[in-house]
Amino acid sequence: MATKIKHTRIEGKSSAYLVFMIVAGALAALSPLSALYLFFEGHHVTSMTNQVPWGMPIVMAIYLIGASAGSLVLSAMSSVFGRAEYKPFSRMAALLAVLLIVAALMAIIMDWGRPDRILVPFFHFQPRSMFSLNAILYSLYMALGIVYLWAMFHNKEKLERLLGLCAVALAILVHSGTGAIFGFVYVRELYNSPLLPPSFIAAALSSGTALMIITLHYTFRFTGRKLDERHVHNLGKLMGVFILVVIYFIFIENVTRSYAPKNYEAASFLLLHGGKYTAYFWIGLVLMGLVVPAIIALNGATGKSVRWILAASWLQLAGVMLERYLIVIPAQILPLEFFPNKEITSGFLDGQFAEYSVSLLEWIYSLGLAGVVMFGYGLAIRLWPMVPTEAAYPEQLLKTN
Amino acid sequence: MALDRRDFLTIGGLIAAGTALGSVGSAFSHTASGHEGHEAEPAVKRTGDRASSKNKWGMVIDIEKCGEGCDACVRACRKENNVPHFDDPKLDIHWIRKITFKQKGVPGAEERQMPAMCFHCEHPPCAHVCPVAATFKRADGIVLVDKHRCIGCRYCMIACPYKARSFVSMHVEPKPGDNRDVPVRMHGVVEKCNFCVHRIDSGEEPACVESCRKEGNGAMVFGDFNDRASKVSEMVRTSRARRIRPDLGCDPQVFYMGI
Repeated sequence: MATKIKHTRIEGKSSAYLVFMIVAGALAALSPLSALYLFFEGHHVTSMTNQVPWGMPIVMAIYLIGASAGSLVLSAMSSVFGRAEYKPFSRMAALLAVLLIVAALMAIIMDWGRPDRILVPFFHFQPRSMFSLNAILYSLYMALGIVYLWAMFHNKEKLERLLGLCAVALAILVHSGTGAIFGFVYVRELYNSPLLPPSFIAAALSSGTALMIITLHYTFRFTGRKLDERHVHNLGKLMGVFILVVIYFIFIENVTRSYAPKNYEAASFLLLHGGKYTAYFWIGLVLMGLVVPAIIALNGATGKSVRWILAASWLQLAGVMLERYLIVIPAQILPLEFFPNKEITSGFLDGQFAEYSVSLLEWIYSLGLAGVVMFGYGLAIRLWPMVPTEAAYPEQLLKTN
Repeated sequence: MALDRRDFLTIGGLIAAGTALGSVGSAFSHTASGHEGHEAEPAVKRTGDRASSKNKWGMVIDIEKCGEGCDACVRACRKENNVPHFDDPKLDIHWIRKITFKQKGVPGAEERQMPAMCFHCEHPPCAHVCPVAATFKRADGIVLVDKHRCIGCRYCMIACPYKARSFVSMHVEPKPGDNRDVPVRMHGVVEKCNFCVHRIDSGEEPACVESCRKEGNGAMVFGDFNDRASKVSEMVRTSRARRIRPDLGCDPQVFYMGI
């Protein structure tokens, strides 16, 4: 590392900071409040039913885990892969990774029917359950993220490199495990796919990079610190490439599924006649969430404009949120097939398309989780030296560029 | 918070104790052999102890006999297991339901009916995905939920191919007329048909089967697949009894004749 990077705490005296913390704190408070309400009232206050048992909390959980895994990989880019241009925001990325996994765990646990049994998974293990394995992976991952941050603070470079390497491996494992929650479910055609674990990782990297761009830009702007624009250009390009990988996985998954006649119904529901789900897929996810941000990020002119890259990052963040939604929900909307070639009906709504739209409580619940991450971030950069005083672009890289 | 734990041992608790300690003397246990010899065998013939691998419980349902509009099995189940009505079809709990089916794309195809409940799979996907092993298969093949261990994550509902599971999404208070032989309902957990395990353990057949025989047309037969002489074994051996979605490989222990 040629240039020494100096990290300092932010002063936190500006009114902008105060407003940010009040808003984030208020949002964060919604999280435990909505969880308590859910626990005491029961899940009937949400849109989750016996036909659609998983709703927005699960969407949020996998979204946050993805963004966390992506952030941690970005953080390790400098120490593990020797890419000096990622060094300035290595700490911020690791911090985000820890905060996001905490929020993800909250998303999962508070959605249980019995969050009061939080300790049960630590005493009863089921090695065949992805949830059970993930409980171990997520806990390890969170602990490793914290130790990794600590190593960075104490400039223990060798330890940092080792932990960074473990962090990358664990991030990949954690998010593969998250994809496998769905990929392994062989009774639902829209879940069952060996591509889901790698596809989850691709989306983790693209959304993690988008979140990093947004965090970097606003943190430096509001603290008045200097951020070399080339960092944003570089991250934008990286995000663009990751998005192409996401597009590739989504393409392969859907053409493979559509090929088999037994899947015609499931595949065409998502791609052709699924009403709002089809619209979300083509317009929301493919067009606005993937293709447009990829074009912006990889195009010569817009790819060198911070504004454009920021816009692309927001689109990509929303796009991946929609991607997670389209993974979790439509598979539950489709009725389970009892007999091929037979129509079935029952008092339990067998054979019918289920209904789901995000309820008010689930929106509040989700906003609360975003608040937790925002508040945690604001607090941490005030308490610890996370943000560099200046994020210069390493000069030795400029010659090769 | 009323956790509704006070009155009863859970089924899971009973089973845990039963399997751990072997045959524990209890008010439930008595032999069922006294019923033999009558026609239509009213009770369950059990070899071995409660929850013994010597037995493999299962059911054969003859769809030809299942009466249109008859819901004796559903009513009996609701009564036996205190299954509540929430007046919301999306949230209602179903341990057993009547399914109507007909050939797809054939105009005027004949509609037929069948009851469906938990099929107590040999390879239960619900138990495979349960992170805390709250859902498990007992030695005699009955798949159960320990409602005191279930964390309410609902992964089992995602994994079950047969929609056998319901989530208790609101509080249910015990009522005066409730059957006191079954545990009190608990909110925030997943539940399903347990083949009336409390009845099997005391030598009786499940409530749905009994009511089908007494009030319905005798379409449902319950018994031990490990016993070659049992009626269910004979039916599976001699007729074209089929499983639902055999392609999935879960090997349900409920067979249907006449699909």
